[in-house]
Amino acid sequence: MAACSRSPLHLFLSVQTSRVICTRNVQVKSAETSPVYPPIVPSRTAKSKSAKKRVLLEFFDRLQTVEPQERIRALTRVQRMKYVVYPQTSAIGADQWYQHFTKTAYLSGLPEKLSTAELEDTVVSELSSTVCKALLQEHWYMKKGRTFIHREQEQFAVPFLMNAVSGLVAALASKNPVFQMSSLDVSPHVNFYWINGERTIPRGHRSGRVEPKRFQIDDRPHSQIRIRHQLPEFVPLETEVAAEVPVIQLAPDVLPMFRRQYDNNISTGAKLQDPCCYGHTQFHVVPDRFRRDKLINKKLSDQIVVFLRANAIASLFAWTGAQAMYQGFWSEQDVSRPFVSQAVITDGQYFSFFCYQLNTLALSSFSVPDNPRKNLCWGTESLRLYDSVTDGDVVGWNDDTFKLLVKFLLNKP
Amino acid sequence: MARRLIYPLYQLGNPQLRIFRPTFSMTLVRPGKPQPQDTVQFRVSMEMTKFDVKNYLEKIYNVPVAAVRTRIQYCSNKKRNHLNQRVKRPDYKVAYVQLSQQQTFQFPDIFPEKEKQHEEGSVEAMQEKFMEDERQRQKPDPRRGGVTEWFGL
Repeated sequence: MAACSRSPLHLFLSVQTSRVICTRNVQVKSAETSPVYPPIVPSRTAKSKSAKKRVLLEFFDRLQTVEPQERIRALTRVQRMKYVVYPQTSAIGADQWYQHFTKTAYLSGLPEKLSTAELEDTVVSELSSTVCKALLQEHWYMKKGRTFIHREQEQFAVPFLMNAVSGLVAALASKNPVFQMSSLDVSPHVNFYWINGERTIPRGHRSGRVEPKRFQIDDRPHSQIRIRHQLPEFVPLETEVAAEVPVIQLAPDVLPMFRRQYDNNISTGAKLQDPCCYGHTQFHVVPDRFRRDKLINKKLSDQIVVFLRANAIASLFAWTGAQAMYQGFWSEQDVSRPFVSQAVITDGQYFSFFCYQLNTLALSSFSVPDNPRKNLCWGTESLRLYDSVTDGDVVGWNDDTFKLLVKFLLNKP
Repeated sequence: MARRLIYPLYQLGNPQLRIFRPTFSMTLVRPGKPQPQDTVQFRVSMEMTKFDVKNYLEKIYNVPVAAVRTRIQYCSNKKRNHLNQRVKRPDYKVAYVQLSQQQTFQFPDIFPEKEKQHEEGSVEAMQEKFMEDERQRQKPDPRRGGVTEWFGL
């Protein structure tokens, strides 16, 4: 009989006996003495996690002392597959994801400093005539036929914004002394490459290994103003902000986002030796695909705001991050002062205003494991500048929106 | 649709208002990888395009669709039949549909979990195991074919 040979209580007996194995205290704490031997560090060449970590930390130690240019080159040298973050994206609900990638908290409304600034009416009326002229030039005085499909913004919004921005900057140079030594870039290349979070490789010959998630932004703003002195911070660096950074557990692939492998670039749109190394304001034009009326036609009216927010967060993080890297900060050596920039996103008629404060570059770093700091982004909803252009006249000019634009440009160190 | 549609001929006396439904079906599947709350995964016919999927859901089921992405899943050609010939498993098209208007969808739990197991090493588990063993012991030995134990060695 198979069952007869086993006693039902045998299990309890074996459990009882196995407990009485070893009660002797083997490891007794020795007295505190000065270390005779050098500390035991993991091997550099072994095939282990700690060896990999040691190699990485030694690499970081070497990077602490070198020049920013060398450091940027070293950090971006190795090409691997990386997620490409498109600032102007068609993904649904992209702003939450972008906040997660860049560790940005979003606050609606503008910071107190900008919302309380005062303006003289005579200045505003002068400037508004400049902008109206630029607007009428494109919409009334110039004879323009029908454009190709999805090319209207290139014909109307881009030249209008170009004339308006250069006119405003020239006119405001007397009011805002930083513009006298500033640089206005037209369609610069702004790039940023960073690492945030980890993923386990699902398949392939490296499957099961943990690698960092790499991200790259390649931005092409319409124009940007760079200045020689840094803009003042909106809030102090260590301020506690109630707004939370959304945490998303899903892989970025389902946003959807795709991985590509090409040069890792970090650039503010100028070379590192350029004296105008701090950002003032970026101007972005909404492409035709994402224009307000097209999105409403597609019944995606809730995505208008999402698109603008995602664009602002991605572009401004890239720009301020690149500025900080140019100043010698990086993920293992976090910023000692916040970097501040502004952005205006427009489709020619509607303007939305965003301010960004870069508080941290250490999104996932060894030196600061649980970083309490987070980046901050303030933004307005999109505001209409004018209603229409009829018979050589701008109808429904919105002075408040225009004042906000002037206030943005009058922000000075 | 890619396939040419041939509508049934109208015969006198048929109802004037006729509704033609496509001959395609969409299979709602549980996503293999975790997807966001607003994303629904379907297996659709190869011939359906993104626009077909969108129209299908919007016109027939009144589901608000924000975006549709499709891909074609290649299936293996490795299987062999009894004559050692390759047998291709059919490919299929997968559609990821993102819902608009803050709608969410979660795939229903078709096979709910069985009632909770007892913890390893707890009293209930021991007792259950004991009872199981007892029941096993009471059973006659199947190898003996119903012959009583009295006849054993």
